[in-house]
Amino acid sequence: MDADPVAADVTGGRPIGVAIVDDHPVVIDGVRAWLASEPRLRVLATGDDPDAVLRAAPEAEVVLLDLRLHGRMAFDKLAELSAAGRRVVVYSQHTDPDTMLAALDAGAVAFLAKHEGREHCVATVLAAASDRPYVPPALAGAMVGDPRPDRPALSDKEREALLLWFQSMSKASVARRMRISEHTVKQYVDRARIKYTRAGRPAATKAALLARAIEDGLVRPEEIGTYRSQASTDRPTP
Amino acid sequence: MSTDLDARAVGPVHRLAPIPATGAPAPTDAAGAAIAVADASDRAARIAAVTIALAWHLAIDLPALPGVGSSPAASAVVAAGWLVTAAVGVVAGVRLLRGGLPPARRLAAVLLVVDAAVFAAVGGGQLFAAANWVWGGLVWFFPLVLWRRPVRWLLALLGAHAVIALAALLASGATAPADLARYAMYVYGVSSLPVAVFVGGVALAALAQARAGTATAALAVEAERVAAERVQAERRARLALASGTAEEVLAALAAGDADPADPEVRRRCVLAAARLRRLIAESDDVPDPLLHELRAAADLAERNGLSIELVAVGVPPELPVEVRRRLADPLTAALADARDWARLTVVTGPDEVVVSLVTPDHDGPDASGPPGPTGPREADGDENGPVEHVHERDGEIRWTQTRWRRT
Repeated sequence: MDADPVAADVTGGRPIGVAIVDDHPVVIDGVRAWLASEPRLRVLATGDDPDAVLRAAPEAEVVLLDLRLHGRMAFDKLAELSAAGRRVVVYSQHTDPDTMLAALDAGAVAFLAKHEGREHCVATVLAAASDRPYVPPALAGAMVGDPRPDRPALSDKEREALLLWFQSMSKASVARRMRISEHTVKQYVDRARIKYTRAGRPAATKAALLARAIEDGLVRPEEIGTYRSQASTDRPTP
Repeated sequence: MSTDLDARAVGPVHRLAPIPATGAPAPTDAAGAAIAVADASDRAARIAAVTIALAWHLAIDLPALPGVGSSPAASAVVAAGWLVTAAVGVVAGVRLLRGGLPPARRLAAVLLVVDAAVFAAVGGGQLFAAANWVWGGLVWFFPLVLWRRPVRWLLALLGAHAVIALAALLASGATAPADLARYAMYVYGVSSLPVAVFVGGVALAALAQARAGTATAALAVEAERVAAERVQAERRARLALASGTAEEVLAALAAGDADPADPEVRRRCVLAAARLRRLIAESDDVPDPLLHELRAAADLAERNGLSIELVAVGVPPELPVEVRRRLADPLTAALADARDWARLTVVTGPDEVVVSLVTPDHDGPDASGPPGPTGPREADGDENGPVEHVHERDGEIRWTQTRWRRT
């Protein structure tokens, strides 16, 4: 997977602890089975209450959170966990672009559509554990179709890579189509994702993603610019 | 968006003739227009009636006042009657010019009281003199207060006026044949003109309303005809498009030239069916026509045993039927070739709509273009922006993409 050598680095060879929060036991069992096939991951706690699950496993490095808990969208809980530095991977059957982008804005490290399957799930959790981006196809679609006027400015290549990745779900095909290497495709997609760390309110997880991206040489600090909150008063007035 | 796609343009580039603008001229609200015309012509008649009454009252009735009355009290009654009439005229005039109607019964009663009072005050000597201004002056206010009421109301009011005059005549003992003849002449003279003005105003307004109604009805019929012709032309064009593929296959099957067991023939049948299905969906009146058409094609493919996933991001803007056709047609054709599974995506960006179909590659023939690492690519331009079509297969997947950009 994309993140293997690094995951081993950060955790010193120890398996990555994962907590699963979902109000459907059958989903918990399914996700647990997916993650069990990956030896570098270990599920530490599961349940339908984020606070109880994290009390049971405070050392969990990644939280898989079902966005819809007991009939309501848990955006406030997501923002609270992200602000506290918890790496939250949101997974949901609600794959409308607005929901996905709102989850990123609230500080989710990644958004995974429930239908996207084992491969994307494991890759997303491994990347999240090392504060690296992973953009599954559904999220790429939401980013490329983002209609908001204050959306991050993506380059043509980044948009094209997101679009083709969303369409084909195969980075090899995107690479052939764009006549670049698969590695470069991943860079374009990840760079677009990093630009989204500027959207919405600041969160510790966003800062961590950005810092790691700069460390990895994915983006230069000047490409990202400084974060500016919507609520701050130093915006130039027209 | 990517410029490297444009750099490797292969295949023919077609330019189509500009599409005529769609949408028939909107028929105006016929009833509303007729009422507006009638109001406009009625307003002119109102202004005329108010002007005549008040001008008559000022220019003819007012100068007659000083020499009237056998006593100061009688003079005062006649002057007061003039003032009250003027007030009635102003009230009715303001109402009429503002588009409303004055309170007919109350004002008519006031006018009759003034009528009787002035006749009584003037007395026998001046009954037929200019000083008795109510004879000819008051009648101009009748059409004013009775505006838009039935003509018989006016006739009744004029009748009451005549009865009051007759009563005054009899009370003052002026019953000689000459007096009665003069009375009859006066009644006829003062009644005919107000009646003519009143009836004329009513007739003018009715006529204008009828003419306006006819004109708008004719316009509506014309608009309907244009719309019907356009619908028919579109229908004919769609039929021609559909029969191009379907007729050929059906004819070959009927003639026995085509073998239904031949996979190629079956493929052509599937393609023709998909085209027909999409063309039928095209004329449906639904909020999101592009997605509706793609869904129709996807439904058909699914019924043929294909596992198909249709994902849409964003809501496509309103696109002309020709652009939708160019966006959807290549994908419909590619769907007919698809095996096992297909992923159909629609992404609406700020200024573009991209439709894509990805299916596993196979050795079978390729409806959308000759096999090869890069298939044909065409860009059709028109006033609505170009639609670009890319088809390629890389051994793993077949990838068809159409893209419309706002220009």
